[in-house]
Amino acid sequence: MFVKSYIAHNTFRDSVYLMRLSNTVRGFDGVEEAEVIIGTDHNKKFLRSGGLWTDEIEKEAGANDLIIAVRAENEEKADKAIQDALDELNKSVERDNLQGDFIPRTFETALQNFSGANLALLSIPGRYVKREADKILDSGLHLMIFSDNVTLEDEVELKKKALEKDLLVMGPDCGTAIINGTPLAFANEIKQGKIGVVAAAGTGLQEVSSLIGTLGEGISQGIGTGGRDIKDEVGGITMIQGLKALINDDNTEVIVVVSKPPDSTVTEKVLKEAKESKKPVVINFLGGKLDQVSDAGCEPAATLKEAAYKAVNLARGKSAASDESEMKVDRAMLAEEKDKLKNGQKYLRALYSGGTLAYETMILLNGKVSPVYTNLSFKNAEALEDVYKSKAHTVIDFGEDEFTQGRLHPMIDPSLRNSRIVEEAKDPETAVIMLDLVLGYNAHPDPAGSALEAIKEAREAAEKDGRKISFVTTVCGTDEDIQNRSEQVDKLKKEGIIVLPSNADAAAFVAALLAD
Amino acid sequence: MENLFNSELKVINMGLEEFAETLKERGTQVIHVRWQPPAMGDDNLLSLLDKLK
Repeated sequence: MFVKSYIAHNTFRDSVYLMRLSNTVRGFDGVEEAEVIIGTDHNKKFLRSGGLWTDEIEKEAGANDLIIAVRAENEEKADKAIQDALDELNKSVERDNLQGDFIPRTFETALQNFSGANLALLSIPGRYVKREADKILDSGLHLMIFSDNVTLEDEVELKKKALEKDLLVMGPDCGTAIINGTPLAFANEIKQGKIGVVAAAGTGLQEVSSLIGTLGEGISQGIGTGGRDIKDEVGGITMIQGLKALINDDNTEVIVVVSKPPDSTVTEKVLKEAKESKKPVVINFLGGKLDQVSDAGCEPAATLKEAAYKAVNLARGKSAASDESEMKVDRAMLAEEKDKLKNGQKYLRALYSGGTLAYETMILLNGKVSPVYTNLSFKNAEALEDVYKSKAHTVIDFGEDEFTQGRLHPMIDPSLRNSRIVEEAKDPETAVIMLDLVLGYNAHPDPAGSALEAIKEAREAAEKDGRKISFVTTVCGTDEDIQNRSEQVDKLKKEGIIVLPSNADAAAFVAALLAD
Repeated sequence: MENLFNSELKVINMGLEEFAETLKERGTQVIHVRWQPPAMGDDNLLSLLDKLK
């Protein structure tokens, strides 16, 4: 094996672009491993431990340089891979030149050249967020912070500043929002409508808004707060601001709040605000107390699905509750899946890309199947010692940090999860493999197609051993998304995969299939 | 907040270029900032620069 590097001085590209390019280079002829990465100290350590180290990197690469590091069969193939990687990089520069777009390097220059800007979307490394966010807020722009690794102190300071200026700070770690009908970052295409959502739960907002869209209603605003907003330290600043804004918004007739149960002081504030609203407020505090919500005169929802159905009913002038929002398990389908399983096949392996969806599944399995191991922080579950190795019933969120360091999020690149699908199928104790497929902007162009490739391999592995696995899935998205939900569902069903209309339905089905 | 809800969205995107590309493709007004770490990524130099301001 031959390791070779190339340093492109004073060259910078964003992390998603570089991770994609790294994937491309890994696919080049004769290449065993490759990284295209910025030369920060952290990244250099990563290259050293990954066996992609050269004297050139040690001596010449700095934080403003781009490193192409390749391990290949021989020098010739390493050289060729580096040259092809450089060609790819140059193509992106040429594309910029052809498009003729002015691409500023600083916020100040962008602002000067783009009058009337009213929102900034920040996805830069977390430690630089505060500097840029301060400038953005001082210039009077609302802000969505996609970045994570922002300190709690910085979050509090930024949100307090925004509150004084009547500006919204969505995030940090806010993966999705819909503002004025525009989906931001990982969000779904949903028509504009009467239902406003404020959520401290990324895929929670995607699931609720997509179900609302599929039921034929629309979204006025979908405000993300970031997961830490509901902690005492932050005090729910964005959640309360969002709630107030929706109460005052003429286009919003029904409000939905989605989050894990907030800290007690924040719960009080949210319920107090919701109680004063003349508009109906549906609240899903994932796994929280329902009576606390109804005592405040709001509509409690036990699942994301129920929140969507209740909101749609209210938007149509009906009473909130309906039978449709309950989870119904198809007995015939259940019997058919049970028949597939042999003695000894008893465990669930739920492999998620959406954190809130995984969390909702934990809630719905709780008390029905045990023991459940997970990499999520969940009160009544066991922590997985090794996240790469399942144990008994296992629920994994592949979007957690341990899987995304230096890798693309599983909604963009499901390859890590795909190999896990195959691995789980080889375990004679695996009965059910459960998957969420999340559609929308910036997600994988064909999640069903990608999952099916792995499922095919998984089936072959299990069948070699005389077993069949039950695959249960849910597709979060709409027909208006670029991936088209109906087409994705059809693709899966055609291959005998169970697709249920919501994550809650999928979890209820699995719980019934595996109940102790 | 009404100023945001009642006006057309105009986005300054800093960081991941794909976010700007998808917004542009669906017709949202957006400008992309090809952001780079300030002070050549040197934290000591950055804190000195910040003190000079």
